Amino acid sequence: MSGYENVAYDSPRPPRVVVFSLASCFGCQVMITNIESHLLDVLGQIDLRYWQLASSVPMPEDYDVAVIEGAVTTEESEALVRKIRATAKTVISIGACANTAGIPGMAADHYYERPIEVYDEVPEAAGTIIQPRSVPSVIKVDGQVLCCPIDPLDFVATLQSALYGSNRMNSTKTLCGDCKLNGTSCFYGKGIVCLGMVTQAGCGARCVNLGRPCNGCAGLSVDANLDSAREACERYGVSVQEFDEALEMFNQTNSALKARR
Amino acid sequence: MAKSTINVDHVARVEGHGDIRVVISDGAVESVQMRVVEPARLFESMVRGRSFNEVSYIASRICGICSATHVVTDLKAVEAAFGVEVTERTKDLRELMVYGSYIQNHATHLFVFAAPDFIGQESVFPLAETDRELFDQALALKALGNELSTKVGGRPVHPITAVVGGFTSEIAPDEYRKLADKLMAAIPFALKTVDLFRSFRVQPLSTEGDMLAMVDADHYAIERADTARFLKAQEDFHASDYAEHLEEYLVDHSSAKFARVRSTGTPYMTGALARVNASWDLLCPQAKVAAAKAGLRPPELNPMMNNVAQAVEIVDALERCAALCLKLADTAGEETSEPVPFEVRAGRGVGFTEAPRGAAFHDLEFDEEGRVVHASILTPTAQNVANLEADMLQLANLLVNEGAPEDVVKLEVEKLVRAYDPCLSCSVH
Repeated sequence: MSGYENVAYDSPRPPRVVVFSLASCFGCQVMITNIESHLLDVLGQIDLRYWQLASSVPMPEDYDVAVIEGAVTTEESEALVRKIRATAKTVISIGACANTAGIPGMAADHYYERPIEVYDEVPEAAGTIIQPRSVPSVIKVDGQVLCCPIDPLDFVATLQSALYGSNRMNSTKTLCGDCKLNGTSCFYGKGIVCLGMVTQAGCGARCVNLGRPCNGCAGLSVDANLDSAREACERYGVSVQEFDEALEMFNQTNSALKARR
Repeated sequence: MAKSTINVDHVARVEGHGDIRVVISDGAVESVQMRVVEPARLFESMVRGRSFNEVSYIASRICGICSATHVVTDLKAVEAAFGVEVTERTKDLRELMVYGSYIQNHATHLFVFAAPDFIGQESVFPLAETDRELFDQALALKALGNELSTKVGGRPVHPITAVVGGFTSEIAPDEYRKLADKLMAAIPFALKTVDLFRSFRVQPLSTEGDMLAMVDADHYAIERADTARFLKAQEDFHASDYAEHLEEYLVDHSSAKFARVRSTGTPYMTGALARVNASWDLLCPQAKVAAAKAGLRPPELNPMMNNVAQAVEIVDALERCAALCLKLADTAGEETSEPVPFEVRAGRGVGFTEAPRGAAFHDLEFDEEGRVVHASILTPTAQNVANLEADMLQLANLLVNEGAPEDVVKLEVEKLVRAYDPCLSCSVH
């Protein structure tokens, strides 16, 4: 997640930004609009060329920065993602669906049996379906805004990095450390599964602060040690099976999970 | 033979992906289609086998805008299956959380999605130059809805605190009082919003389908009741019997299932207009006056008036939520929203709420371990698409008979689609 091109400095005109959406709930785009009081400050720095949710201006041929929400679940969307990569100087994937395949990724297991459970006959309009996958598993991305949904200010920070460059190092620590800093008590003492041990930190442990265990929406940290976490579950008398099932919610397509099977 | 097709690929300023096709042959409308082209999302399959604890968290992801409703609908289904009776305070908090999404959804829909059509713009952003005060007030209203959802649910999208039996966390009494002040202070702008949308000229349509809304004896019903009513047929039914009264069916041009009244096969409309028609007498005083002034009285059958109905609901929500916040502040300490204890058991439960866009049903069946055996989900937009197509045909005929040029037909049809405030990603779930 380093080595942004300085899109804004390399060109005399404001960077042309486009926003695309694949399989998702649209919640991350909604979160972008939720920067309400800063919205005009952000728009003032860019030339927003395409944002289907907010404007009827059609998709342009050329652009500098592409923001992608959603998981890749059709051949059509996979082709679109590759085209975006070939066109944009910088690609930012936002939200759990784009970054880990998220909730759509839950369907990856036994994928081809699922559509007929919902439809008697799958309508043509659904496109040519493929097993759900994350955007970074299809193309290289330059910036990621994690979590379900994204934090709007996190998005602004990442967009700023994409526009002006940044030498910020992204931490790979896991969420558990945040609870220590926050002084919140641990779910494991209560026999409840929490995914903080293996999940990428950055959200400030928002859910735990409000009394709910971490569901892993930021995705696995590259530092995550799943085997050690499973041992910890056993030590605390928490079901390892429950831990593994909880991981499927946002990390079903992560190869670290597959490795065990 | 003069044949032409009006195509709108990827309708802008709606949630999700959809195309419109209007085929005109020899000066007459041959066919209209609302093509929902979302990829299959398979939620009903994905929740199968998952624990009751997780389903509301997963179902929330059906929709980023009405996530609060999907969560509450799911929790109601789980609680119905397990026989859980939640406290009055929990019901109040759920109502607040859902209303937070109403204010946020309606403000976004009215100003960001719908208004640009009526002021001849492609988006709301030029409004920042031409009428900065209106732009700022519109965004502030949307932000207030988000603040309400965040204070109750933990964040504006995909609430955290709402679980089976109650809430895991609550704000302090002072924060409820501050919220009440802010909500009351927003009412004048909400009233102005009703006037603004009343002033926009709309085509004289009259939907031929029925309307469906939640009803309650003494309350403007959005989540507390379990009775649904077909307004034209005057037919009431309990949510758990929805499948006897509503029918889903497949069409090839849409990945969303369509819906119709099972007994008659007619389409129906659900949403703000249906609710205002159903519960007009129960609107808060200021909202009722605003509705009357705007000429919105039951039975109002023009689907374009859904915009005005949403504006009226914002006034109603602000007044109602301010009172709820004060009640919650005054009774803090006496009443609790902590999750009530319950036992997991096998069974079926149907949750029913009014999402900002209309009636939502979640039908869940559990095994004795509390894992989902079967799930069926009916979203508002999936129920609305068939009726939208029927209204679209009526509108296209009206305009073509008047000899309207194609670009006018295209714009008016898009306006109609947006008036329904469709959530196409939701409709495919």
